Amino acid sequence: MYQQIALYATVFFVFLLALAFAFVYGESKRSGDYGSIQKKGYRIRKFYFLGLIAVMGFASVMTLGRLPYDRNQAEATGMNEIKIVKVTGIQYAWEMSEDRFRVEDQVQFEVTADDVTHGFGLYNEKMELVAQTQAMPEYTNTVYYKFEEPGTYQILCLEYCSAGHHVMVKEIVVEPEGGSL
Amino acid sequence: MNENIHPLAKRTVVWYLAATALVLILMMIFGVMMLLNQGEMISLTPQWFYKIMTAHGTGMVGIAALGGTAILWYFLSKYVKLNPAMLIVNFVLFLIGVAMVLIAIFVFDFSDGWTFLYPLPAQSAKLAGAAGAMFFLSGMLVLGIGFLIMYMYLAARLTKGYGGLGKALGWDIIFRGKKGKGPPAAVVATAMVIITNSTALLAGATVLAASILNIVNPAITMDPMLAKHLTYAFGHIFANCTIYMAVIAVYEVLSEYTKRPWKANKVFLIAWNCSTLFTLMIYTHHLLMDFAVPKWMLIIGQVFSYANGLPVMVVTAYGALMIVYRSRMKWDFASSLFFLSMFGWVAGAIPAIIDATIVVNHVMHNTKWVPGHFHTYMGMGVMAMIFGFMYYFNTTEGNQQHRGIDTFSIALYFAFFTGLVGSFLYAGGISAPRRWAEHLPQWVLSDQAGAVSGIFIVLATTIFTVRFFAGLRSVGSNIPYNKNSAAS
Repeated sequence: MYQQIALYATVFFVFLLALAFAFVYGESKRSGDYGSIQKKGYRIRKFYFLGLIAVMGFASVMTLGRLPYDRNQAEATGMNEIKIVKVTGIQYAWEMSEDRFRVEDQVQFEVTADDVTHGFGLYNEKMELVAQTQAMPEYTNTVYYKFEEPGTYQILCLEYCSAGHHVMVKEIVVEPEGGSL
Repeated sequence: MNENIHPLAKRTVVWYLAATALVLILMMIFGVMMLLNQGEMISLTPQWFYKIMTAHGTGMVGIAALGGTAILWYFLSKYVKLNPAMLIVNFVLFLIGVAMVLIAIFVFDFSDGWTFLYPLPAQSAKLAGAAGAMFFLSGMLVLGIGFLIMYMYLAARLTKGYGGLGKALGWDIIFRGKKGKGPPAAVVATAMVIITNSTALLAGATVLAASILNIVNPAITMDPMLAKHLTYAFGHIFANCTIYMAVIAVYEVLSEYTKRPWKANKVFLIAWNCSTLFTLMIYTHHLLMDFAVPKWMLIIGQVFSYANGLPVMVVTAYGALMIVYRSRMKWDFASSLFFLSMFGWVAGAIPAIIDATIVVNHVMHNTKWVPGHFHTYMGMGVMAMIFGFMYYFNTTEGNQQHRGIDTFSIALYFAFFTGLVGSFLYAGGISAPRRWAEHLPQWVLSDQAGAVSGIFIVLATTIFTVRFFAGLRSVGSNIPYNKNSAAS
């Protein structure tokens, strides 16, 4: 969902920007008194500034309450059971304490690395990135994910870790609810 | 013609620009090769792909800094008397650093990326020998020292000329109610770059030295999280400062072309002070997926990344639009590129700001969305400013004229750059990872679109470069020099 929002928002705002530049280019062939242009321009700028603050403020309010660091943690507290899965990245493989799950499983991935920094990127069956965190030596990053669709998910390395970076992939299987593990 | 710049410095500026243009074409070819490989149109071994990737990243950031420095020096010389020796020292150390980096990559197979994320170089050194990592890290250190020496010198000159970096940033007007306008834009921007880039270079030198020591003696270790903070405090700020140096040309040249003043009023000065502060703070948006970092620091990364868009959107780009509006400005290569560069800068800031939103970053960090946004403001922003300056230099110091081929090459460059960054952003939208030598079939089409766009960008850049070198022939050797007019 966020990928689509990001794409559409970028296209929309860049289009508006292009319109503004095209308008000014068109008007550049005429002449005008710069003093009065500045006076009017500064007046418009106040509204433009407030508009940007409003957009940024709205985006902050809408997103800062949904941080991946604690949102799922809060949800998880209401769950009956959380599966804790230890994940370790090492050139060029993922070691996991468990790699088969059921739909509705709420999983707490505790991610670290043994050698260099890797990136734990969880992709669903459609190869959409659905969650990620960094896998750094000496640190454990905890990322939560609730499996809602069955299928074969993949963990891709998303932090460059040398020549085998692109082969650092692991498949995990999510069975339908009630399926056997 | 700028008669206040020392003739030797003027010749050195030419060397800076020539090196920038030539290395840029080579690095662009490397970029196209990577896309062709991801798009399954050529076949590179992963080792070669990552070596080329390391050279591309390091080289692009390096030449953007080199071109930006040429602009800074040229225009700052109008207001502050500068010793060309410092410009030359930086250039020589830059060349030595680049040579060491190239030896590391192409002789000793170093391929750990331009971000050399600790402890990756030490790990690679264990497997493939220490020479590659040592040459690369030492080369980067030499390169950084060159810039640091130059910034220390510039800080001393601004202190002598304007009473300190604070006054050069207009603090007496902002905080003490001093009436009138602030220092020239070139001085304000230089003060900002000195503060931010010196901090960046010190952070970079620390992590480089620690990485070198770690290779020499593995018992000497560093906290990987601290190392990552230092690496991005260096890399993010250094890359950002290329645009803050290059934009000086936009202030100077658009003001000259439109015959309208672009003075540093109070809002302008506040904007540049905010940029100084925010640029230092927002590197943390590179660590949004490091959940172990304190949450408040990551929220700062989001909120101030938003805020950092405001100075350019509300003051600099808006100011450019205002100064051009109904100005009957002459449209030539320089003015067109400077105008378009402001579009490129803001257009790149939009997806950058969106990616700095933590919930978005959670599903887009390290996808191709990231090169999508920074290629927009580096390629359509910084590089457009540098090429605009090359033409401006040749017209003011020589007699280069705008021709039809210049209009054609600008259209070619911007049309296909839109295609390139569009392909990156689309690929990010479908979760294609960045820095992957091989891509899955569903990502290949976007790579192919990017590769084809890249080929035409190389063509346009080659035309820019040929026109620049052809124009240099008209730049006279008997360059007037007014020894007394520059402020001292």
